[in-house]
Amino acid sequence: MSLAEEHTQTGGDSRLSQSAAHVKRNRRAYLLIAPAALFLVAVVGYPILETFRLSLYRSPADSTIETFVGLQHYVDILNSDIFYRLLWQTGRWVAVGVAGKTLLGLLIAVHLKGDIRGRKFFRTAFLIPWGIPYAISAVVFRWIEHPQFGYLNAILLKLGVIEQGIGILGNPDIAWLGVVVADIWIGTPFMAIIFLAGLQSIPQDLYEAAAIDGAERWHQFRYITLPQLKSVILMATLLSTIWTFVSFDTIWTMTGGGPISTTATLVIHIYQVGLQNGHLGLGAAYSVIGFLLLLLFAIVYLRVYTRGGEEL
Amino acid sequence: MIAIAGCTGGGDGSGSGSDGEGSGEGGGDTQSVQLLTMGVGDNIKQFFEENNAAFESEYDVDVEFTSVTWDNARQTVNNRVDGGQAPDVSRWPARWIPQLVGKDALEPVDDLMDGKFGEKFAEGVANGTMYNGSHYGVPWAASNKCLYYNKDAFEAAGLDPENPALDTWEDMLSAAKALTESDEVSVPALGLAGADAIETGSQYYHYHWSHGADLVDDEGMPVVNSDGAVEALSFYTDLHLEHGVTQSSPLSSTRQDIRQLFENGDLGMVIGHVYTGLNITESQENGEVDFDYGIVQVPKGPAGRYSLFTIDTLGIFSQSEHKDVARDLIRFYFDEERRFQYSKQKGFLPVVEAVGEREYFSESKNWGPFVEAGQYARARPKLSNFSQFNDRMVQAIQEALADQKSPQKALNDAQSDLEDAMN
Repeated sequence: MSLAEEHTQTGGDSRLSQSAAHVKRNRRAYLLIAPAALFLVAVVGYPILETFRLSLYRSPADSTIETFVGLQHYVDILNSDIFYRLLWQTGRWVAVGVAGKTLLGLLIAVHLKGDIRGRKFFRTAFLIPWGIPYAISAVVFRWIEHPQFGYLNAILLKLGVIEQGIGILGNPDIAWLGVVVADIWIGTPFMAIIFLAGLQSIPQDLYEAAAIDGAERWHQFRYITLPQLKSVILMATLLSTIWTFVSFDTIWTMTGGGPISTTATLVIHIYQVGLQNGHLGLGAAYSVIGFLLLLLFAIVYLRVYTRGGEEL
Repeated sequence: MIAIAGCTGGGDGSGSGSDGEGSGEGGGDTQSVQLLTMGVGDNIKQFFEENNAAFESEYDVDVEFTSVTWDNARQTVNNRVDGGQAPDVSRWPARWIPQLVGKDALEPVDDLMDGKFGEKFAEGVANGTMYNGSHYGVPWAASNKCLYYNKDAFEAAGLDPENPALDTWEDMLSAAKALTESDEVSVPALGLAGADAIETGSQYYHYHWSHGADLVDDEGMPVVNSDGAVEALSFYTDLHLEHGVTQSSPLSSTRQDIRQLFENGDLGMVIGHVYTGLNITESQENGEVDFDYGIVQVPKGPAGRYSLFTIDTLGIFSQSEHKDVARDLIRFYFDEERRFQYSKQKGFLPVVEAVGEREYFSESKNWGPFVEAGQYARARPKLSNFSQFNDRMVQAIQEALADQKSPQKALNDAQSDLEDAMN
């Protein structure tokens, strides 16, 4: 055994024995967290592993037969045009949706922080969309946008803006926007409430000092509010991105992914492939890819925002 | 699956059922049988409540009755079968039988259908539940379609409402043009389904078949891009893109949307089920709408006339531990008077021959044309992946309707994808 190997071996032994000693010293603590850890493994770890296992098999939903195909599903997906179209549609859906919710939420939060009349009423009122089940909100928006029965078209027709009803959700070019509007309406209250909480934690002294120095409101917002809210914005947008990415109810209820699959996201496609059409293995492979994409996004996002050693 | 409240058997031992063939399962303790069905609305809820109670009383069996919406039907049954919790008896569209048989979930009921009980049904109806040489269900309900037209709109456009001359697709187009061009008519001439929904296919297939096109060949392989198919889809899309005789944005309209438009008096023509007429009649009686309508056969094309025929079955699941009681329940529900009440209230064509022969149906303004349409009946092909097949066809229809692809290109692409999916 070389010196280096001996050192490594010794170091390894040393680390192992240190770890064992650590566990021994804290045995009670580990015992106490064991049920929670087991629970996590059961409800989080197992489904993830099972999804990955399933993705390696051709597994029709109407049969118990499973055929091992290795990474074939992944190869097929990465070589298909559909996957890249779905990536584009999912990215568009997430980017516009999260941006809309963030900007609108920030705008509402800033105004609700101010001393406006009926502030308590508005704070409660803005929460209502968040409290309504997604599917119900989606049904409401589907009807609002309906070409024959919807309020939107009825108003536009009454005003003479259009001559006949526009089928927003039936137009392959703009249907996704019709759904994004509903998603923004549903998701904005959460962002507003989170931002409002963040705004209230900013010391008032900073604004007073800035005002004495002659800073205008925009400069106060730019140089005090935004930096102070940075960590809150980071967490809220990260959560919103994940929720929007995996969002199913709104799109499914409003369009079912159509017309011509133009509103389908990765999640909608996973449902269609895996559960509707019965290709569980292929659906699982899409799920794993979606999971990895989200994981990658979260890592990169957090790295970029914590660059320079700043902690959340 | 049957939940057993006691040990075995139940009822009075006679298990007479409607035709005296019931099994009964002697004993003393009460059993419970799970009956799952779909789409039980207010119009039929009372029917099930009363009859389930009557069965419980007659057989000393608890009926655990569940109704789910059609949207959730397939998933619900699949989940329950996969989870080992299948109901004992369930209503199920006949076209989905292959999928259930594929996972050994259904019990053959040849013993019922090949006996005296099976003689209740017309041969064509009974055959609708056959797959691989066996009956995997009892015909529960049937529906077909006719063309409705708004007599008031026809009269306003100078067309003869009593003799509307709607024999062919070209006739229908001519009438639609007359309605569209008339200054006296403010409603769209024709309802066209194009939304991302399963029913868009079922509205379109009338055009497809009547142009000599098919969906699959004798081996079950896709043949959706024949010359006839291209003609049919071209005609379908031209109604909107070239002639402009449809409601705005067919891609936003489900079958239910256009049916609702017609029922409100806001549409000139629509292909619909019998319940469209029943709904309008009810609305007229309640003073909610004030227009007259007529019903004619679905127009014919160069290769004939077809009316999409759908059969739902009542099947027994293999997982059921009390199949005899399940058979008793089926026999019970096929009592002639019960079937009459069901068809009358639900608005489905009678599946029991003796019921269909009653004057209530044959002499009715609403029912008569649909009874006649039985001769043009054609069902969707029985494919284990029909849902996937249909979704792809709907996509092709949408691509053509949105003018993204020519009908030829849309169907060629569909053919290619379907070949891949079915190989």
